[in-house]
Amino acid sequence: MLQGVTRIGPYEWEVPIGFVPDMRVPGRFFLSDRLAETLEPGAIQQLANVATMPGIVKNSLAMPDIHWGYGFPIGGVAAFGMEEGVISPGGVGFDINCGVRILTTPLSAADLVRKRELIEALFSAVPTGVGAKSTLRLDQNELLGMLKGGSKWAVEHGFGIEEDFLHCEEQGSMEGADPEAVSQKARQRGMPQSGTLGAGNHFLEIQLVEEVYDPAAATAYGISEGQICIMIHCGSRGLGHQVCTDHLRILEGATRKYGITLPDRQLACAPLPSPEGRAYFGAMAAAANYAWANRQVIMHMTREVFARMYSIAYEDMHLVYDVAHNVAKFEEHTVEGRRMRVCVHRKGATRAFGPGSPDLPPAYREAGQPVIIPGSMGTPSYLLHGTAVAMERTFGSTCHGAGRVMSRTKAKKMLSGHEIKEALGKKGILVRAHHNGAIADEAPEVYKPSDEVVRVVHEAGISRRVARFTPLGVIKG
Amino acid sequence: MPVAMSFEELEHTADVRLRVKAGSLESLFSEAARALMVVMYGSAEPGSMHRRIEVQGADTVSLMHAFLSEVLFISEVEEMVVSGADIRLSEGRLEGELTGEPFSPARHRSGMEVKGISLSGLSVSRDNHTYILEVIFDV
Repeated sequence: MLQGVTRIGPYEWEVPIGFVPDMRVPGRFFLSDRLAETLEPGAIQQLANVATMPGIVKNSLAMPDIHWGYGFPIGGVAAFGMEEGVISPGGVGFDINCGVRILTTPLSAADLVRKRELIEALFSAVPTGVGAKSTLRLDQNELLGMLKGGSKWAVEHGFGIEEDFLHCEEQGSMEGADPEAVSQKARQRGMPQSGTLGAGNHFLEIQLVEEVYDPAAATAYGISEGQICIMIHCGSRGLGHQVCTDHLRILEGATRKYGITLPDRQLACAPLPSPEGRAYFGAMAAAANYAWANRQVIMHMTREVFARMYSIAYEDMHLVYDVAHNVAKFEEHTVEGRRMRVCVHRKGATRAFGPGSPDLPPAYREAGQPVIIPGSMGTPSYLLHGTAVAMERTFGSTCHGAGRVMSRTKAKKMLSGHEIKEALGKKGILVRAHHNGAIADEAPEVYKPSDEVVRVVHEAGISRRVARFTPLGVIKG
Repeated sequence: MPVAMSFEELEHTADVRLRVKAGSLESLFSEAARALMVVMYGSAEPGSMHRRIEVQGADTVSLMHAFLSEVLFISEVEEMVVSGADIRLSEGRLEGELTGEPFSPARHRSGMEVKGISLSGLSVSRDNHTYILEVIFDV
């Protein structure tokens, strides 16, 4: 482990004040010995940098999928006080409300015939990859509806059923969205990209529920062993990316204006009550809504393909839940025995609210919030539930995925997309992408093992395993 | 002897980190735009498309960030693969023209989507006659 970092539990480490100059609070991160072997010093430096930001409360945190990002580390979580705290696009990222959802089907593995045809049908129904065009023809008014209403807008426009948005974090529609703060440029990028999956690590995957660990929670979530499910991972596309770019520039000016000193320009921020801070929040919330609507539209296309190919009812495919893993939100938490409202930034981290949280749909209140952790192409994904421990330790947060260990450059040099596709095919996993480079880039070998990341959050108690899913087929951007 | 424009990829686990070199500050901007396009589309060849570009920035780093962000924007909404830029720099301001070809799904799908230009790790330096840019693209 790095010099100056102290172990404080089997899976928990502390970065003391003074690790970098001007830290206001200590850093804390969760990691096993095995994951510590691939920890990058740059990621801990970034975790410590976040601790220097004004108004940060309790700790600068990182989840076990921590890795080197820009501004915050990936896997970073930080909460800021409402009066003295700040908001920063560097704590959310370019892909605002990049997130993931799971849809159940009434099908079992034996029912999933014509799998290659299914993958091809999904690949042609859902626009994917660089330069993909939306099949929706949105006008300015409809885009405005999307920015304000999120999933709710999509359902009202025929892209789903009412229970869908009830099963999303924030009910798929974040309050405080301010479309006025979303530039024309961002709208221009967003209009032709609504309902597209995107590229990079975004995917749509057919999965099998291989094992249930927590039958009570699984029953509450409508999950059972042997069931076929679909996982959708994407974000706010060019619209969100442009919102981040635009506001980063505005907030760089604000950082100077309010006399804030920062160790990294990407951490540019403004006080939460300032006009610049409020404008970024409003634009970010609108982009988050766009992302929720986007995932809803893609889920709708998926349901239509399944309904047609397997003669099942659209309504018999249920959305378990939809979580955001790049977002800043106002939440109430207990800090040193006192309830306080804070702005929680999660960058590559998932909200994991424990049992009893009023924000959850009534059917999930006893079990806690569903937490969805996608694996990489060849490795399992997990469904977990949020816990009281997460509420106490991590502002109700947990990991978001496996986390990369190999750079894209190295992956492309070492791995052939064609060979990976064949190897996965032999395991019964069909992969469809526009080009093989996209496959090498996201191969199982480039990620930390998802089971180890999930084991750490489970053992640390910041979320608990409910079920494991194995991949059967995937379409990639 | 003039310094040839070039770029190389440096190690970065999650994103794409590049070092771009050129013999003048103006050609550094041009090569940076081409490098961004090669990352996004796999190739970027000169063509018949031309677009005006104009950005502002308080210092060279801000100007580079604004310029690359604008190239990304223009490329996406104009469906243009930029191969270079003929630009003029004056106090806090850049203006000029981008050159390139139209995006073609058949030829430009072997790259990866760039979400944004990071301010973390963005630097412009000079070593004798060589201007050097280091930049991280979020992909």
